[in-house]
Amino acid sequence: MAILELRNLIKAFGGLRAVDGLSLAIEEGQILGLIGPNGAGKSTAFNCIAGVYPPSSGEVYFCGEKTNNQKPWDLCRKGLARTFQIVKPFASKSLLYNVMVGSFSRTKKRSKAEEKALAVLKSLHLDVKKDMNSGNLTIADRKKLEIGRALATEPRLLLLDEVMAGLRPTEVDEMVAVIRNLRDSGITIFLIEHIMRAIMALSDRIVVIHYGKKICEGTPKEVADDERVIKAYLGEDYGVS
Amino acid sequence: MTRENLQKAFLTLVLIIVFGLPLILRSPTYLHILVLLYLYAYLTTSWNLVGGFAGVLPLGHAAFFGIGAYTSTVLYVQYGVSPWFGMVLGGVLASITGVMIGLPTFKMRGAYFALATIAFGEGMRVMVENIDHLGPFNINGPRGLQIPPLNVGLANLMFTNKEPYYYIILVMLIAVLAVTYFISRSRLGYYLNAGGEEPEAAMSLGVNVARCKLIAMAMSSFLTALAGSFYAQFSLFIHPKSVISLDLSFEIAFIALIGGRGSIVGPVLGALLLRPVSDFSRIYFGATLPGLHLIIFGMVLILVMIYLPRGLQQPLTKAYNGLLNRLDRRSR
Repeated sequence: MAILELRNLIKAFGGLRAVDGLSLAIEEGQILGLIGPNGAGKSTAFNCIAGVYPPSSGEVYFCGEKTNNQKPWDLCRKGLARTFQIVKPFASKSLLYNVMVGSFSRTKKRSKAEEKALAVLKSLHLDVKKDMNSGNLTIADRKKLEIGRALATEPRLLLLDEVMAGLRPTEVDEMVAVIRNLRDSGITIFLIEHIMRAIMALSDRIVVIHYGKKICEGTPKEVADDERVIKAYLGEDYGVS
Repeated sequence: MTRENLQKAFLTLVLIIVFGLPLILRSPTYLHILVLLYLYAYLTTSWNLVGGFAGVLPLGHAAFFGIGAYTSTVLYVQYGVSPWFGMVLGGVLASITGVMIGLPTFKMRGAYFALATIAFGEGMRVMVENIDHLGPFNINGPRGLQIPPLNVGLANLMFTNKEPYYYIILVMLIAVLAVTYFISRSRLGYYLNAGGEEPEAAMSLGVNVARCKLIAMAMSSFLTALAGSFYAQFSLFIHPKSVISLDLSFEIAFIALIGGRGSIVGPVLGALLLRPVSDFSRIYFGATLPGLHLIIFGMVLILVMIYLPRGLQQPLTKAYNGLLNRLDRRSR
């Protein structure tokens, strides 16, 4: 059974259809990549899935349940977690505090939440910085912290919105390894990414959207060879020879 | 001594001092000033649950204070109900009012929320000033209500000397500080802070931000109303200008901002600094420069906002921790 399924999802802001009839499905344990040019509607699709916006029409199914109008905090309890394209740490607080906000979603007890948060920080090699103010982190560490907070909620499906943007190549490699580990631990991953090297290496399948519509879907190889994809990225005049 | 023991020793010392103070300080004037100081520290700590932890700036808390004062006073004067009961009932009423105000206003951001709460507080004052009878209850409009000083004693929360008031408000202050301490370490405290700082991120991590704020508002307004009843029994005369005034709402916010919003000691430090300024400027300059304390508050606030955005608690906490560390190291 698909862990997440979108059926003809539409999200309109006034006259603009940011997501226009998108359908896709992710099987449990997969890594699905979502790519597309700037403004294609990738983040809007994520926001509809995560409950930030209600979809204008169409359906979102998470674990077989229709979740169109559910709120972000309810979806989180059901096992859906996400990161934000523009990182949003609780900047005046320590890393440990940040991650504990996430781990409190599974327990009321402070000691348990702290234990869980420390384990998550350790798995991301952030445990040495646990008492640092999260506002003082480098961008790579902030992105990792976003993932850490999301992981602390014990998700089944993790939506990653451009977690590699702005990272140095060595940091990208490290992040790729982190994401692989997550998948191996049983978490399904849906990621938006612009760094082709990373997304090609990670994804089992890739969906390409343009102006809110799906223009191609397939394995990384199929997508890379698709003429529509090349045109969407490089323009109509670009000849494939 | 370990760090923990040092902290315990320090806390014990403070408690001995505050509980022993009335034995040395016999002057009713000074006790009166201290009672008001604790009252403001209490009010600001209650306010801090919303204004500090939840990251919004409510400026209408005088309304809850007024609800507490009027509820216990009307019940006592007209029906002979013990003010202790009126206090709790006032708290419940204020709590319900707080939630009703919070429902529509917590969606607003920044200054708009502050403005909405000012409007609510002022609306309440004007209403009380213009109503003599609210159903069967006589609230006596702008003339206010007097509590006849008969039947003094603990049962009626009324005393002829200041000491009992001193100890009651002191216990209330310690209780509210303990509540704040436990909340700040609980899930609710984490959720309030997270929701105040980055609501979208908090929501995605399972935080129902609006509900957390409403819970905080309910607690904060309940606690504020208790202080209102206490104040009514302490001064034995209340009127709209004294218990529902905008000045009161502002002074609470001033104390919090200067002491340090969102911290536990901030409100106490703020009250400790500002209340004496206000009282002594009234004693010494009341005739020549009335309102001098407000000018001083304003200047202090500007300076604090520029140089210490997290309030006076920031350098003091740092110094205190440094001292603890040094003592800790020396003892090893």
